[in-house]
Amino acid sequence: MDPRQRPLLRRRLGVFQAMAWGLVGLLVLIYAWLQLVRSGEFSQLALQQAVKIRPIPAPRGLVLDRNGQRLVDNRRALHLVIQREDLPTKTEVIAALAEALVLDPAALARKVQSYRLAGKGRPLVLKENLDESGIALAERVRARYPFLSVEVAPRRVYLGDELAGHVLGYVGEVDEPMMKAKPELYRLGETIGKEGFEASGNDKLKGVDGQKRILVDQLGTEVANFGQVDAVAGRSLFLTLDAGLQKIAQDAMGEEAGAVVVLDLRDGGVLAMYSSPAYDPNLFLNRLSQDMVDRYLANNVTRPMVNRPLQGIYAPGSTFKLLVAIAALEKGVVTPNTVIYCAGKKNFYGRDFRCDKPTGHGGLSMVQAIAQSCDVYFYELASRLDIDDIYAAAEKYGLTERTGIDLPQEKRTRIPSRAWKKKTYPRDPKWYGGETISVGIGQGAVGVTPLGLARFYALLATRGKLLTPHLFYGFRDDQSNGLVPASAPGSRDTPLDPKIWAVLNEGLSEVVQSGTASTNPFVREIARQIPFSGKTGTAQVATFVDKAHYARQAKFLKDHALFAGFAPRDNPQIAFAVVVENAGFGSTSAAPVAAKLVKYWCLDRFTHPLPPPGGKLVDPFVPPQPPEEPE
Amino acid sequence: MRERFRALDPRLLWVLLALIALGTLTLYSAGRNTPQAGIWLKQSVWNLLGLVFLLLLATTDPRRIFRFSFPAYLLGLVALAAVLVVGKKIGGATRWFVLAGQTFQPSELMKWVTLLYVSQRLGSRNADTVSRLELFGAVGLVVFPMLLIQRQPDLGMALSFLPILLIIPLMKGLKTRWVMALLLLTSLGGFGAWKFVLKPYQKQRVMIFLDPSADLKGKGYQVNQSRIAIGSGGLIGKGFTSGSQTQLNFLPVKTTDFAFSVWAEERGFLGVLIALGLFGLLLNRILEAARVAHTNAEVYFCAGAAGIFALHLLVNVGMVAGALPNKGMVLPFFSAGGSSTLSFFLALGLIMGVLHRSRVK
Repeated sequence: MDPRQRPLLRRRLGVFQAMAWGLVGLLVLIYAWLQLVRSGEFSQLALQQAVKIRPIPAPRGLVLDRNGQRLVDNRRALHLVIQREDLPTKTEVIAALAEALVLDPAALARKVQSYRLAGKGRPLVLKENLDESGIALAERVRARYPFLSVEVAPRRVYLGDELAGHVLGYVGEVDEPMMKAKPELYRLGETIGKEGFEASGNDKLKGVDGQKRILVDQLGTEVANFGQVDAVAGRSLFLTLDAGLQKIAQDAMGEEAGAVVVLDLRDGGVLAMYSSPAYDPNLFLNRLSQDMVDRYLANNVTRPMVNRPLQGIYAPGSTFKLLVAIAALEKGVVTPNTVIYCAGKKNFYGRDFRCDKPTGHGGLSMVQAIAQSCDVYFYELASRLDIDDIYAAAEKYGLTERTGIDLPQEKRTRIPSRAWKKKTYPRDPKWYGGETISVGIGQGAVGVTPLGLARFYALLATRGKLLTPHLFYGFRDDQSNGLVPASAPGSRDTPLDPKIWAVLNEGLSEVVQSGTASTNPFVREIARQIPFSGKTGTAQVATFVDKAHYARQAKFLKDHALFAGFAPRDNPQIAFAVVVENAGFGSTSAAPVAAKLVKYWCLDRFTHPLPPPGGKLVDPFVPPQPPEEPE
Repeated sequence: MRERFRALDPRLLWVLLALIALGTLTLYSAGRNTPQAGIWLKQSVWNLLGLVFLLLLATTDPRRIFRFSFPAYLLGLVALAAVLVVGKKIGGATRWFVLAGQTFQPSELMKWVTLLYVSQRLGSRNADTVSRLELFGAVGLVVFPMLLIQRQPDLGMALSFLPILLIIPLMKGLKTRWVMALLLLTSLGGFGAWKFVLKPYQKQRVMIFLDPSADLKGKGYQVNQSRIAIGSGGLIGKGFTSGSQTQLNFLPVKTTDFAFSVWAEERGFLGVLIALGLFGLLLNRILEAARVAHTNAEVYFCAGAAGIFALHLLVNVGMVAGALPNKGMVLPFFSAGGSSTLSFFLALGLIMGVLHRSRVK
């Protein structure tokens, strides 16, 4: 090396050395900024992604019938979920995932998007209630998308499927409208009762969710548990329902649409309540498929989602005549012994009102008029009364109010009055006398719910006790599994004059023994074994022209058949109301249903009790299969 | 044999051994409870092998090594061309030969061979008598393998050749017009590269560097997690094998590109100070070797080597902190990898030879 070079190179190398230390210094500054100045912020982020608070869903209480048979059970279900922090962002990933899981890509993308905006606490559920093939699919797909996880959660199982669908209702996730209405009450993703007793008894059934603080790794797998607050299971409870009687009601209704209500006369407990067509609540635990929407919701003329016993408003027909009789007797426009002549029809206000029997019943006392369900007799009574007299009687005996049953969305019975007409028809507010005549036989504007009707007949059976129908019977004792009865909701006494009651009671007995209901041989046979009381009714759906025309009419224009009453005749235990839609006369369709209920409740349940409701759903929990090798 | 060990420069050796210790600890922690649990052992084998080579080179007269620089350079070019044809494709890039189950990346070694050859060529001239033509020739010698490497493609590796050009300002000094020309050339080159040379994934990296939070679950995820790891380490760190980012796998590619984040998380700012201090001492010692070197070629080689080490340090340590684009450049003695480790040891061996010769003379 040329010696003259050395100082020059050394000087330049000195600059290089300074630059090297400068570089080290710069890096030290960068790390000081991250590790000293912003350390807290990054520690927070590190903690946030490694330490998670996961809710532990509390199992809901079981629902048992009055005899302790399970109506609603909890089983383990497996859900395929994505934890919030693992939510994929790329549209290609979501699309590929949808394809792998056989889901609609657009729907999944929407779901992910809305969950991203609103979902909190609970993971995003991709597929619910995996069955064996679902688990196999999930495990296969999970091998490719490790951010998926399978969550074990309690799942409701409604035993007997459609047996008590409307009564029990079903559970689902809290939805947006509910959250908005009562944000302090619900947590998003929480499971709550949506319909039926699951909804109205939600506070009784739901437990308290627990939570755990866990350490997760990058895949969301739990690595360590820092401690948890255990979930408190909801309390199991008894319903007043009798599963056997409910089954009788279901079988008796068969394919017919309508409603059955049976009340316990001791306390107003609902022994059976069936709405036909029924739905299977198990199906509503999953997201609605198009098939289910078609079947239950859209354009289904039979409206299976309506809980007919408390949401169906039917013209009571002749079953209403008892109230008209009470109003007439209490006002004194007739006595029980007043004889009114029926010639098959009678003219009021310049219009002929027809009796059911065109040839006429002849002269009738009140008992006979009830037994034969003579229309002319009750036209006459109505003509002697004002509509507001009838309304006052209905009000006094509880027909104008909701029964107050512990189920959601009960409808109010419709009893017309002058005030009602003014309010409802402001264009034609005047009440016409002719309208009262129709109300006299339970037609016209009158509409009752089967539950309201049953309650009215319970009042007749108890000589004036206005019961509050209810389903909640009591909680289950955790040790003995026995019933801890809750006090039944209060009843109201509106005593019937014993003389009036005796007349009505005799009339109702005669209906079954010798009157309109006795024409049916099956009813006659049962009534021979267990004398019971009741009243047939036929609610007109379309205008009656003549028999030939009626026979030609479409099914949905045929009359609704009703039967309401109580059993046994002496020392009654139960009251009931049966509506069979578009079935024609009450004696041929509705009364036999009631007779079957009476037979089971008073006889067969002691000798041939029905087996507890079974469930076709088996526990879907099997140990996860090893993932199959993808080709 | 004792004579041979005496050839090792103690100041450089201790720094080197300390860095190896830090890197081994880091890899042990990073590989824990993963399929790569044994990676620290594997890397230790490479390190031992590297130390043997280092010992051999340190006791060899550097001039004998420089003599082989031209054939080595030619061989390197052939290897770079060959890897494009018969190399193994991993992750869309053809960078590796597969020999007996081991992958070998020729470009790692070629970097040093190029430095060796360019130093040797320019070293035959005194600094101020070198002609412009010779300088351009030297630039060509550096750029040609870079173009071959960019064909693989491997932009990070190609760019790591650039510090070789530091020899030029060392010879000619830094003149204002040179700096201006360089700036102009870089901006033009940058524009041209963006338009014609860069692959889409490379452009994406630049975009994400400019805004890392734009794609936290995608490409920005890595750097973001690395920053969380570093930042949450704080002053004293979370403790050996106790970093949540590392141990819970939030930190990606933690045995190679992001190994330094592991160290920073578990050892904190104090650990970072130690590591960066050691790297500073390493660079310093290499440049001191340049100061005492006997020949111009040795001076240039040491200076270029310091530049290459410095670039690796800057790009890797800066990148994992989010201060530089996510460019795959390994950190010497921390990132696991055979070819790169051996190359670093070979270079340091030559530098030790330079120091040894300066002492014995």
